[in-house]
Amino acid sequence: MTSVLRARRLTKIYGRRPGLTDADLDIPAGRVVGLVGPNGAGKSTLLGLSCGLIEPSAGSIEVLGERPGTRAAQLARVGFVAQDTPLYPGLTVAEHLRLGARLNPGWDDKLARRRVQQIGLDLAQRAGRLSGGQRAQLALTIAVAKRPELLIFDEPVAALDPLARWQFLQNLMEFVSELAVTVVLSSHLLGDVERVCDHLVLLSASRVRLSGAVDDLVDEHFRVVVGREDLDRLPSGAEVVHAEHKGGQSTLVVRRTGPAFLPHAERINLEDMVLAYMTGVQR
Amino acid sequence: MTWLTWRQFRGQFLVGLAVLAVVAAFLLYLGFRMRHVYDTDVAGCVAADGCDVTLARNTFANEYGELVTMPAILLMVLPLLVGLFWGTPLVTREFENHTHRLVWNQSVTRRRWLAVKLAMVGSAAVLVTGAVSGLLTWAASRYDAVLGSRFGELSFATRNIVPLGYAAFAFALAVTIGLVVRRTVRAMAVTLLAVAVLQILIPGLARGHVLPPVTRSVAYDAGVPDNGGRLAIRREGPVLVTGYVIPGALKLSTNEKLLTATGGETDTATIRPCLGATSSVQREADPNGGQDPIEACVAGLNLHFDVTYQPADRYWSFQRLEFGGFLVLAGLSCAVALWRVRRLTG
Repeated sequence: MTSVLRARRLTKIYGRRPGLTDADLDIPAGRVVGLVGPNGAGKSTLLGLSCGLIEPSAGSIEVLGERPGTRAAQLARVGFVAQDTPLYPGLTVAEHLRLGARLNPGWDDKLARRRVQQIGLDLAQRAGRLSGGQRAQLALTIAVAKRPELLIFDEPVAALDPLARWQFLQNLMEFVSELAVTVVLSSHLLGDVERVCDHLVLLSASRVRLSGAVDDLVDEHFRVVVGREDLDRLPSGAEVVHAEHKGGQSTLVVRRTGPAFLPHAERINLEDMVLAYMTGVQR
Repeated sequence: MTWLTWRQFRGQFLVGLAVLAVVAAFLLYLGFRMRHVYDTDVAGCVAADGCDVTLARNTFANEYGELVTMPAILLMVLPLLVGLFWGTPLVTREFENHTHRLVWNQSVTRRRWLAVKLAMVGSAAVLVTGAVSGLLTWAASRYDAVLGSRFGELSFATRNIVPLGYAAFAFALAVTIGLVVRRTVRAMAVTLLAVAVLQILIPGLARGHVLPPVTRSVAYDAGVPDNGGRLAIRREGPVLVTGYVIPGALKLSTNEKLLTATGGETDTATIRPCLGATSSVQREADPNGGQDPIEACVAGLNLHFDVTYQPADRYWSFQRLEFGGFLVLAGLSCAVALWRVRRLTG
């Protein structure tokens, strides 16, 4: 399995505040990766590092086998849509497509025009007058029509209403199935992540807490209720992610790291698992 | 990249062209008008018998002084204006709209993105400034010929090729500052200060020392008052010559001390015989024609003074040096910007 993105001890420090600390990551090709974590956990930093907008303070990152953002040929292979989907407010939709065609040798104009038509964008409309959902769709179209191998989105749907969000993700999934592209998207909407992603990276307090295929991760995590006195006697193959105490009982979320037998273990869903990590760390 | 640069710059460029058209129309009118007036009033006076040529020339210079100075001041600040309104927003607007994150992720490196912007908009800045400079140089040529002070601070900086160097420099500096400061208004303030000092203030002060100046001894004779040199006789200290000009040259020394034939300093005692020889009645009888009796008397004492200056025939060397110098500074600024843009955090 080839890695689309490979990070080793990747670190970014803003002044004295850590943006990302010692991140080790391997993202396999062909996945739709959800990047989750609380605000300020380092999601945007990781994505900025991945597309070359941010230089690492230490460690290394390779995207499609190269340092990101240094060569035009490398830039052509990665599509990036920044937070709040920036567009030129004075340029029309048609001019944005022209921009894409002019600046990208691999531009797929047929695809771009077909998509713009499907979304129902008026080619003569200035981008400054588009709705949030339309802006996101146009930004997605520009990023996709350059035919990248890796598509990166930073909170693409955060500012959208539920319908626009649904349409955006729908559109994205159509692209993914049509173009065989790897996608990394950050979101704090776990429901969206659950719907579109098959791979998860969880960040918290500037560190990578969890990374892997969604199904594998969900299979490894359980909810266990134990008596308080049993807390110290958990089997060795289980790692406590999160604990909640009520009366004489403790509700644990554990990760099975080995062939441990966990009595009365309940399966949990993705959302509960992610929340366990977020609250577990905050405690 | 050229298409996008042009598309983003189009509006500002058209506004600039409209302003240029107004200025050009004024300068064309001024140029033709001055040529006509010069031909009839000054050249006509030279041809005619018994006409006071000095008076005709002074009248001409006075009449058009303001009309030439106004566009010259505009041209002096034009590089700054072009830098502020074309240079600064070239990059800061991208940062403020976050569109740098859009454009830096197309298949074009940041360095190329910036290089194309610098080249295209920078050329426009130099061309527009060059057009105004060329028109002003042409329009003011009769005035400059009459005044004979091409090295004057304002005339030197607003004629021929020097303004083009200023334009390239101010534009490049504005872009570089914009790249570092990233906020339009703040970048404009820094640019305003930097360009005002580096392009408007310093050249006038430093120009005279670009090449080693020439020092020449001038005999104090009847020709000195004709070139504006007046005696300053004080109760104590050496006698000075003030206001002496060498036509077309850039004079560095002022208030030169009057020296004796052996090089010693003069004082009031040296010229006392001449002070005694004068009566106020004589002066009043002949108020502007002829020579001041004191000056005429001093002219006979075999005195001289030393002047330091850049000769008039160095004009084009100085134009080329200043133009080239600012072009080099512009190049350095561009190099810093192109180096810096790679390391910026998006």
